[in-house]
Amino acid sequence: MTAQREIAEKLIASRSSLVADSGARPSSRKSEAEGGCGVIGIACSEQVPARHLLESLRQMRNRGNGKGGGVAAVGLVPEELGVTKQVLETDYLIALAYLDPAARPGVERDYIEPTFLVDRVHHVSTVPDVLMSRSCPDVPELNSGTSGTSGRLEIQPPDVYLYFVRVKPNVIEEFKKRNGLDAGPGIEGEIVYQNSYRLNHAFYASIGEKRAFVLSHGKNMLVLKMVGYGDDVIRYYQLEDWHAHVWIGHHRYPTKGRVWHPGGAHPFVGLHEALVHNGDFANYASICEYLAQRNIYPQFLTDTEVSVLVFDLLHRIYGYPLEYVIESLAPTTERDFTLLPQDKQNIYQMLQTTHMHGSPDGPWFFLIAQSQLTPLTQGGPRPPLAPPSARGLRLTPSARGQRGAYRLIGITDTSMLRPQVFALQQGAASIGFAASEKQAIDAALESLALEDPRFWTRADLYWNARGGSHTDGGAFIFTIEPHGNGAALVCTDKFGKQISVNEERRPYESIHRGERRARGDPSFVSALVPELHSGTVEEIFKRVVKELPGWSYEDVNSFLSDLERSAQADVPEFNSGTSGRARAIQALTLLMDRRYSTGQLRPSSLLSLFDRSFGAIVEQIRESPSSEYVFVSSEGPRPSCRVVPELHSAAPHLASPLWGEGQGEGLHSGTSGIGQTVVIDARGFASEGEHSLALEIVRLYKRGFRRFLVAHAKGHRFIANGLGPNSHGVRIDVYGSSGDYLASGIDGAEVFVHGNAQDQLAQIMKDGRLVVYGDVGQTFMYAAKGGRAFVLGNAAGRPLINAVGRPRVVINGTCLDYLAESFMAGDPLNGGGFVILNGIAFDDDGQIIELDTPYPGGNLFSLASGGAIYIRDPYRKVSEAQLNGGEFADLGERDWALINPYLEENERLFGIPLARLLEVSGVILSPHQVYRKIRPRAIRALQAEEAWVKMHM
Amino acid sequence: MGTDHKTVEQLIIEKHTENLRRGFHLWPEMRYGKMPALGDHRWTADLILSTWVQAETGQPPTNGLEYRVGNSGGGFDTLDFQFLPPDVPELNSGTSGMSIDTSIPLNRRPYDRKIQVPVPFYGAGMSYGSISEQVMLARAKAAQKWNTFTSTGEGGYPDSLVPLKDHVIVQVATGMFGVREETIQYAPIVEFKYAQGAKPGLGGHLLGDKTTVAVARMREAVPWVSLFSPFPFHSVYSVEDHKKHVDWIKTVNPEALVCVKVSTPTDIDMVAVGSYYAGAHLLQIDGAYGGTGAAPEIAKKNIAMPIEFAIPKVHRYLLQEGIRDEITVMASGGLRTAFDLAKAIALGADGGVLGTVELVALGCTRCSNCERGRGCPFGLTTTDPELSQLVDPEWGAQRVSNLYRSLQSQLRDILRRLGLGSIHELRGRTDLLVYRGQEGRR
Repeated sequence: MTAQREIAEKLIASRSSLVADSGARPSSRKSEAEGGCGVIGIACSEQVPARHLLESLRQMRNRGNGKGGGVAAVGLVPEELGVTKQVLETDYLIALAYLDPAARPGVERDYIEPTFLVDRVHHVSTVPDVLMSRSCPDVPELNSGTSGTSGRLEIQPPDVYLYFVRVKPNVIEEFKKRNGLDAGPGIEGEIVYQNSYRLNHAFYASIGEKRAFVLSHGKNMLVLKMVGYGDDVIRYYQLEDWHAHVWIGHHRYPTKGRVWHPGGAHPFVGLHEALVHNGDFANYASICEYLAQRNIYPQFLTDTEVSVLVFDLLHRIYGYPLEYVIESLAPTTERDFTLLPQDKQNIYQMLQTTHMHGSPDGPWFFLIAQSQLTPLTQGGPRPPLAPPSARGLRLTPSARGQRGAYRLIGITDTSMLRPQVFALQQGAASIGFAASEKQAIDAALESLALEDPRFWTRADLYWNARGGSHTDGGAFIFTIEPHGNGAALVCTDKFGKQISVNEERRPYESIHRGERRARGDPSFVSALVPELHSGTVEEIFKRVVKELPGWSYEDVNSFLSDLERSAQADVPEFNSGTSGRARAIQALTLLMDRRYSTGQLRPSSLLSLFDRSFGAIVEQIRESPSSEYVFVSSEGPRPSCRVVPELHSAAPHLASPLWGEGQGEGLHSGTSGIGQTVVIDARGFASEGEHSLALEIVRLYKRGFRRFLVAHAKGHRFIANGLGPNSHGVRIDVYGSSGDYLASGIDGAEVFVHGNAQDQLAQIMKDGRLVVYGDVGQTFMYAAKGGRAFVLGNAAGRPLINAVGRPRVVINGTCLDYLAESFMAGDPLNGGGFVILNGIAFDDDGQIIELDTPYPGGNLFSLASGGAIYIRDPYRKVSEAQLNGGEFADLGERDWALINPYLEENERLFGIPLARLLEVSGVILSPHQVYRKIRPRAIRALQAEEAWVKMHM
Repeated sequence: MGTDHKTVEQLIIEKHTENLRRGFHLWPEMRYGKMPALGDHRWTADLILSTWVQAETGQPPTNGLEYRVGNSGGGFDTLDFQFLPPDVPELNSGTSGMSIDTSIPLNRRPYDRKIQVPVPFYGAGMSYGSISEQVMLARAKAAQKWNTFTSTGEGGYPDSLVPLKDHVIVQVATGMFGVREETIQYAPIVEFKYAQGAKPGLGGHLLGDKTTVAVARMREAVPWVSLFSPFPFHSVYSVEDHKKHVDWIKTVNPEALVCVKVSTPTDIDMVAVGSYYAGAHLLQIDGAYGGTGAAPEIAKKNIAMPIEFAIPKVHRYLLQEGIRDEITVMASGGLRTAFDLAKAIALGADGGVLGTVELVALGCTRCSNCERGRGCPFGLTTTDPELSQLVDPEWGAQRVSNLYRSLQSQLRDILRRLGLGSIHELRGRTDLLVYRGQEGRR
């Protein structure tokens, strides 16, 4: 450590000349304000081309405003850059952006030639037409926005040259001598860093006219950015076919300044790391001061730049292991801190004391791509650190991540104020994601799966990080490690705990290649599932679940082929009132929604196959709509509602065509509906605005339609919003990647999300029902007034915050934190609202297991004045310390009578047996032994009148 | 007489009401001398009394009460207009000034519905719970008479307002109390309240004893418990979230105009630009001089930038960005008089939003007991079933309407004396203002 400290101090001292020489007067005032952004990061064991980011970035354009886009790539392909493998791995890759092409001779003369031996110069080619079209004609929203979406680039993107360089030996010697340093590869990096600072100062920061700046200068790493959207960068620089192990794409949303410069766009770089950021700091000035004390001065004056400067300082100069860097950025606080092991507390305490002023305060989510995971003092790949504690405790478990070649890091702020989702798919190739929205991940996976048989369309795992926590530390790291001739991907959390997939279950390859490899029997009746012909949906489902452990993918395909064929029968049968088509849709839906054992087959692969079959049935409906199913896409005419509602409910054989009775709660609605289901292909609709899917549904609703099946959702926002008051009788089923605000404000309608959902669901929901067969994101049911909601999985941060009235909610998993803060939902025993939190998950066989704790957060039911939480906590793991204004109470008989029907409904919807919920370690207990009630503690009167009023009420 | 059918309670209310109204009429006459305990430096006794006169007569007082400025020693009280000399001929032609246009557009973008208000002001958000339903009705009826607006504030939408919905702005604030798709669909304008100038960063706060059973029912919360609106929108932590928020409202009610109400942080210019790009039609910048007695003193007096600095900062910035004429900027927070309004406009706002002054027109004396359930002796900031009957909505509507008439005629007079033909011409004319410095204090 002493050597490290000495080097760090000398390096920091060496930078004092930077400011002195350049006469820079550092500013601690942000030049630009920006809020959120859209980000996606990919890390893969294989090198994947950038074109797979395109769709995902296009779908996230509503998170940016076209005033800044960028990409970072780490782990490049030498041939694509015209260099040898050795040059790529050993040389620094200086990417220079020339805003003024005439600046190039001066830059090279003053800042390249004196310092570097240049092994190669590569000009990054661009599309021929500078003012390239950036409109995507099929997506109307892009042509209608308020700012800069005219279909052309506003600002000329920089001309980019890549210089592969080594520092001249005499320059190194001179630097060592001047600064009293001995050796180490870190010196070369520092020279590169300081040279870029001087270059930027001379050609960008100090002059009115901005002529050139360094985009990136790390090894085997490249950043490109411009004024535009992130996907524009890929198209403009023709990166579609460039491959890399790690990619980051970013849209920016700056709000100040009439003229935007490419230099303000993300990513920003330290040395070997590129960082993009979604959020905004409150303490920019403080961080600048912190950096200034260490002779570091920002040049581009944005939050993002100082973030990466702090990261670089902690990681490269101070040589902290990644865990400590993350702790310094996003400190562990409150109850989570106290739950850390004592040794960690000691070290974290020191980190916090020293680096609190460099810790960004505010909503933020960082994505960092990194190459050269080698700290200053080490020549080669770093071995696992020796335990710094005398007692030999293992304090640096993330050492494993240190050995890799490249990595992608996602870190969320302690309060989890920005959206973030992680995902992992492990097969012949392994790929990890971190993004602002799940739909962006799905879009990238779909793009990959279309052309590469090693990928399929659903990730194995999707999850959220719990910021500043003792559980996962709010950060996940995808490390690409050399492995044989290729590379392997390892995913760990902040503490080094590995996240992995059960690889015994084989993934299916070539899902999208049209090879069905169905076996044998072409006749209609499946030999595998005889119930397909005449059984009920439930019988089909039961048979499949029973047989699945013995099936191969060929069997699955064979079954799905039969199922698709059975869906061609579009006339309801006389006796059942159900058509083959309706039955096929229902059976597929059950297979997507439920958890069960999949034998040797990978669940995510099966879901991909189900998705494909579902898509095939939707195509059937497009080609031959029926009396049950009409089809709507963004093109083509809109159907008129064939039957008026009143007439329709009088025709029972036409009622509920999609969802027959008695096949599980998820498959029918209690309300008798209108016969026709509108199947909407969401793909051509905009995410928001006049041409949005949401408004299309409203228009169809006004025409009399009541049942909607949304297929191929791609992050569409506001689904089921705008129906207005009393929308009882409406049912909307959503398939694909649904977007934010789904079911917000519904007042009677029922919405079923077949899969994971995103953020801000059911905000101000009034009445009706929302069922999510997966997880929900941030601020679920914010300020809800009523209605019922059922969530199969987890909720992210702040569910039910500020909810009033009578919302009644079952969450089967857990939530990250701040559940039901300021809950004001009356007295549940007298019509008020409540949340049932079951704290369970499913193992690989679809069996129910208990989570480590039903609620990991430090804030539960804080400041609540009404309502209750019923928490399944048989081991009494949730403690008083997690409450702030609430208190535990025994579960009374009236409580049980109240929640019992909701748990029964939960059983019908998700197949989670109520009896199983009452079973603890194999023993059936009584409800009050299993569930605990949390209710508001009596509130102290704030003033005399209040007390008086209470006395007299 | 009819008294046989009246309860004792009704009789008491009637008597009390009559006495109050007599007082509002007589006190400005100063037959009894000025009340020593009335008012404060910002809202002087003169200002309160002259507002009562305007509410009764529709004209500023003529008996020497200072109706133009207060005595705060800062803010609008240290600014004066540089009027033309009285002998300029234009000033004397068409003395009535009736031809001077005081209207402003609330949507300056080329698309979405056009709404023009004939006076450069509308009523500020005050929630059901913070004020009574009668007061809300009085304000809404006045707005209807003048074809302008009032705002629900964050406490729900009483059914009695529905017939007046074309003149009611629906506020969506951080607690989203009473916000439903139905109420969003009523609204010609939806106002996002991100912060209030009186208590920026503190969210909303209705103390327990104002949360009566009726208020709790409207907000669907628990009675007699303090109701907090969080300081942020938990679904909006950045500008792209805000855009999503606007898109949400536009999905629920595509016809609505969107107003963004913010306080005055030092980077208010960035907030303004961000709001514009996210699609807002109106920006309300709310300074710290406003707020009733329910806002904490420490917040009212110490947080955020004074409105007279914030307005020009925003105005100039929007000009630089080239978008000034695509967004309507409304200033608020302690606009007491026609002169305050005119000064705010000269500093760069398009118009102003009126809160406390309307309460004063209804009899408020600024006694600062607003946070208590039975604290307001005039039945304004209370939902107490007895006290709130002191305000008859029709009477109140007439008072507010008279005030509006007085404000409009004074604005015309000011414009005339500046040689301007419309309120629009005054916008951003800081050259017409004179700083009086400490001398401003009288």
